[in-house]
Amino acid sequence: MGNILEFVPGDSFLHRLNPITKIVLAFLFCICSLLSNNLLIQVGLLAFLMIIAFAAGIGEKAMGLLRTLLFFCILMIILQLIFMRGGVGYLVLPGGFPLVTSDGLYYAALFTLRIINATLPLLMMFAITQMNDLTNAMVNRLHVPYRYMFILTTAFRFIPILAGEFHDIMDAQKARGVEFDTRNIFKKIGLIVPLCVPLLVSSVKKVDSGAVSAQVRGFSLRTRGAGYKAYPFRLGDLLALLLLAAMIVLLVFFG
Amino acid sequence: MIEISKMGFQYSGSDRMALRDINLTIQDGEFVGLIGVSGAGKTSLTHTLTGMIPHHYKGDFYGSVRVNGMDTVECRGEDLYRIVGSVFQDIDSQMVASVVEDEILYGLENFGFSREEISERLENVLDTLGIRDLRYRALSSLSGGQKQKVAIAAIVALRPQIIVLDEPTGELDPESSLQIFRLLRQLNKEFGITVLIVEQKIMLLCEYVDRMIVMNEGAIVFDGPARDVVRHTSTFEDIGINVPRVVTLCGQLQKKGLYNGQVPLNVEEGEKMVREVLRGGRHAGI
Ligand SMILES: Nc1ncnc2c1ncn2[C@@H]1O[C@H](COP(=O)(O)OP(=O)(O)OP(=O)(O)O)[C@@H](O)[C@H]1O
Ligand SMILES: [Mg+2]
Repeated sequence: MGNILEFVPGDSFLHRLNPITKIVLAFLFCICSLLSNNLLIQVGLLAFLMIIAFAAGIGEKAMGLLRTLLFFCILMIILQLIFMRGGVGYLVLPGGFPLVTSDGLYYAALFTLRIINATLPLLMMFAITQMNDLTNAMVNRLHVPYRYMFILTTAFRFIPILAGEFHDIMDAQKARGVEFDTRNIFKKIGLIVPLCVPLLVSSVKKVDSGAVSAQVRGFSLRTRGAGYKAYPFRLGDLLALLLLAAMIVLLVFFG
Repeated sequence: MIEISKMGFQYSGSDRMALRDINLTIQDGEFVGLIGVSGAGKTSLTHTLTGMIPHHYKGDFYGSVRVNGMDTVECRGEDLYRIVGSVFQDIDSQMVASVVEDEILYGLENFGFSREEISERLENVLDTLGIRDLRYRALSSLSGGQKQKVAIAAIVALRPQIIVLDEPTGELDPESSLQIFRLLRQLNKEFGITVLIVEQKIMLLCEYVDRMIVMNEGAIVFDGPARDVVRHTSTFEDIGINVPRVVTLCGQLQKKGLYNGQVPLNVEEGEKMVREVLRGGRHAGI
């Protein structure tokens, strides 16, 4: 499956936008989804997102993300169905109690779409932006201290490394006969928790050696203008930002 | 030039010396191999050259380490990093970027070279290491050997006088390991870069390095041309390092008085030795 935050190389219009534009666009899209209580508009927003995703060549990735998000929404959908009791009742139980109601369905759909529309743009942003570019653009253009951006990028970079490490440790344990594929969730947690200590030790070591490696390659000498690549704002950036600003204005007045 | 004198180091919190009484001089342009069992102090020794010991890894430090006359404890780290380039033991954690090109650019950007200089060095190093086709690849998609080349490229681009590599072939297959050694020899011969390489595969060291240093329990046990060093087969056995079989064979032949030529370091030389011994045997009528 790979890392959900992993970069998908490409040369689409979206890929070529300034990294800062991309992150701003993602946030503006979140605002859009939070502004509207209309189910149709939310459906429209999601459709728009998907069109963008396929146009940028990350359609499959977006579908995968969508499935993951839906999975996380299951609990909320159930709660909405149980507690929203207005409107027409369906699946009426003997005794006249409706299992679901039209209100329940409506709000379950609305909130799920809303959550998806508010998170998917950010996740998609990572699929079309390299952390390095984001870092350099933030440092060069927005004057964010390099130190902080480095911490952030490092954190992202270490997610797959540590996941791999965890996998290795699990494998080593399996080789010793520990059975992780138990059905009992508590037993499983009990088996995994002791692994956290070696994982923590080795991750601290790895992060430390990463820091040492950055240091001997001149980390502390880096200046704000150090980037080799330039991150200019172009017409495309302006147009994309205007489009989303217009969407927000429309939603404020008509959403 | 590296000059280490009466150097010792004990990590804080540790109850034994990680390095003991190290005296070592490495001239410009040497190709030096460092071997020793796990925990012998090889990595620690490499850290003293960049001043990471004792500045980053704290502890009790004795004696002195000088690089081009600069004392690593007193001088500014930045001045040192321009001279000594390090490739570390853990390949993945030393990468700072997600794409090959960015990884190579990182150090160049940090040291503040001009754009023209950066692009010239970038193009150059891609050709020197033969990784031009990897330029836009994601690091996560590379094989171990390719990653190692990228790590070396990122250092070579900075054009250090000295390159220190900590077990760069540790996770590589034999063919990729050979490639790395060939590459290092080329860098050493063509550009006169001093190479200090930590390596467990003694055959590779025998084949490529001018000088071999053996460490055990924090101290230097042997230091000299590979041919002289490997002769001490029994000490190697005590330490727990496997000596190449041709060398063991040579030792046995010498003990029996059948051979007194030079110690063979690879298969071809081994073959020569065996032929010589057989010829001698025929002369003696055996
Ligand atoms: N950060 C540290 N803190 C405390 N002790 C350490 C630290 N790093 C290494 N040591 C200890 O110092 C000694 C030498 O370790 P070092 O890593 O230099 O050995 P090495 O020869 O590189 O071994 P390997 O082949 O396993 O990499 C070991 O006993 C080790 O436990
Ligand atoms: Mg080591």
